[in-house]
Amino acid sequence: MAAHNTPRHATELNPDTALNPVEIRITGGMLALNPFLMTLQNKRMPVASFTVGRDGNGAAMRATILLDCPPESARRYTTLLSALEDVEDAEAAEETVEVALLKVGGDAWRESAARLGVGVHEEGGTVVASGETEKLEAWLAAIEGELLEDVVRLGPVARPSGTAWGGV
Amino acid sequence: MGETVHNTALNTEYKPRTGSEAMCEALLDEGVEFLFGYPGGAIMPFYDALPDYPLKHVLVRHEQAAAHAADGYARATGRVGVCIATSGPGATNIVTGLATAQMDSVPLVAITGQVGRPALGKDSFQETNVMGMTLPFTKHSFLVEDPDELYPTLRRAFEIARSGRPGPVLVDVPKDVQFAACNDNGYRRLREFPQPPAGPSLQAAAALLRKAKRPLILAGHGITLSGAEMELRLLAERTGTPVVTTLLGISSFPEDHPLYIGWPGMHGAASVNRAIDKSDLLFAVGMRFDDRITGAVDKFAQNAKVVHIDVDPSELGKVIRPTVGITADAKLALRGVLGHFEETGDDCAEQRSQWREEISESQKPEKRREDAARKEYGPIRIMDAIKAIAGDEVRLVTDVGQHQMWAAQFFEFTKQNSHITSGGLGTMGFALPAAMGVAFAYPDEPVWVVAGDGGFQMNIQELATIRDFGLNIKVAILNNGFLGMVRQWQQFFHNRRYSSTPITGPDYEQFAASYGLAGKTVREGDSIEAAIQWAEEQEGCTILDFHIDPEANVFPMIPSGMSIKEMIEESESSAAYGGA
Repeated sequence: MAAHNTPRHATELNPDTALNPVEIRITGGMLALNPFLMTLQNKRMPVASFTVGRDGNGAAMRATILLDCPPESARRYTTLLSALEDVEDAEAAEETVEVALLKVGGDAWRESAARLGVGVHEEGGTVVASGETEKLEAWLAAIEGELLEDVVRLGPVARPSGTAWGGV
Repeated sequence: MGETVHNTALNTEYKPRTGSEAMCEALLDEGVEFLFGYPGGAIMPFYDALPDYPLKHVLVRHEQAAAHAADGYARATGRVGVCIATSGPGATNIVTGLATAQMDSVPLVAITGQVGRPALGKDSFQETNVMGMTLPFTKHSFLVEDPDELYPTLRRAFEIARSGRPGPVLVDVPKDVQFAACNDNGYRRLREFPQPPAGPSLQAAAALLRKAKRPLILAGHGITLSGAEMELRLLAERTGTPVVTTLLGISSFPEDHPLYIGWPGMHGAASVNRAIDKSDLLFAVGMRFDDRITGAVDKFAQNAKVVHIDVDPSELGKVIRPTVGITADAKLALRGVLGHFEETGDDCAEQRSQWREEISESQKPEKRREDAARKEYGPIRIMDAIKAIAGDEVRLVTDVGQHQMWAAQFFEFTKQNSHITSGGLGTMGFALPAAMGVAFAYPDEPVWVVAGDGGFQMNIQELATIRDFGLNIKVAILNNGFLGMVRQWQQFFHNRRYSSTPITGPDYEQFAASYGLAGKTVREGDSIEAAIQWAEEQEGCTILDFHIDPEANVFPMIPSGMSIKEMIEESESSAAYGGA
């Protein structure tokens, strides 16, 4: 076969996959979320996680998805999502942070959180923890059992950059 | 109704009106002429307003046909087709039409009635979640709950349908919103002009085309959608590059042109598939490397670099990773590439004469086989006769199956945008209603439907619509008494177990007569040419029922997911498969 340097199956040349965080801003409320989710499914996007919240003034939804694929594919998927009618913007996120809500017993969890680099504070009896996913997981593993009574992991979200969409 | 004051960007005066009136005005302001639809409870307010407006409504006999007719109209004209249905079953019946349009990038706006807002979510009579249901195969779906949003939403729907890569948009309107008074909320039309592609990428594409020794231009539906036929021809001639089209690209380049070599893929010409295999550059424009073209992707065009131009950026790299990928309207991109050749004065046409000669040689055995088949009673001769008798101006609308492939293979399309078919979704029952849309768009031009006896029966009821409007559509049914393509696969891959593929139908001659139409049965031994001549001489719609060999096969054939290496050609099929 003659030498060539290009076309093959699109994913074949990119065997290295990674978790690519993409942040999406969606207007239009629940009705807009519906086509967004449908598109993720229709195009068989390799979604490792999906987290949705609201932006500062509550007018739009901000979703963070982690796409488990080569970066080139992630860029193509991001382009596709950005073309949806209710998607105001879609762009690669630089960093993500994971948030978890916990009910814990005792007080030893503060020290372990500080040691493992997880930010924590208490809010009406609920502990709000945030940090990089790996650190959060390590901390949750450390306090599992005696200290941890219940946990709700909200999933990875893009760190507010203050630059995306003019800041919030 | 008194004088209508249109709410356009040019005239922003308004008067209070109902939602239904706003819907009609939005359609008028979009320049809509024909609506294909079927009324029902939830869309009655709209139908009540309709007679007061100069909009021509075509009452079909099934909502699916409304969507296909709007689709055919849009494909033929390049304008947005419009279909109307009521809630519930009316809306579910248009779903196949929307999916057909989505797969082939056809601009369509579907308006559906919905139960009133208080009844939404209550499992009310004829309530379905139409918006949710259509999301996977529309560019966008709207449910309009605010009467003031009705007019701007409809206008926006048209913008979405025709902008960028065209596609269908659904607007679902609750009945009480159609009744409600609505105000102007200051809609302004957003004119979206395609952006010219970036210079460096065009330069890179031109450089690859200039250097290639065995290039092919691969032209898809995007050529027709962007009106780039002239640019395609100029580029091919300027560079001496042979042109291959996709199934939907057929008729974007004249087939009698010396640079046209055919179409590739599962049932494409063997010589074209081999040319792709040998090519060192695929210059692909407005196409998406569909699996019916590539077969086994890792074995497709292994020696070729790829320039891929498409208006939809998400297509670039979806299947084939391009050497140069350009997101652009086909017309603008081809103009840009042509500009580079004009500037440099490069003339690479001559250096490709050997490549063209090589392709031409490989086509000779195919042409000999075709010429022999032309003398026999059968599909090739039927295609030849339609072309010869109906003339160069004929528009051919095909259904889906073996006849679709025969038409694409053997009808010589020389008129621009004269081949209309359901390519991506492969929707049986498409041809007859789609041809209605074509005939409404071009009432004075010849329109022929080529269908199988299976697909034709799927929307056969539209003969009533055709009769009512006196549409001059000629129909050629290639009747083999089978669901032919499925039977062919059963023959090749399922040991000839013809499970549920033999199919019966009416006596089409008598059936036509029952609708007040002319019909004729044509069998081996009868003159194909005389039958077609007779059909042409009849006034209005005429049906020719050609009885053909029940086990006639489409060749060549690359089995699904395989490569050109596994291509089955006619000569080898008899021994291997006991082929007819």
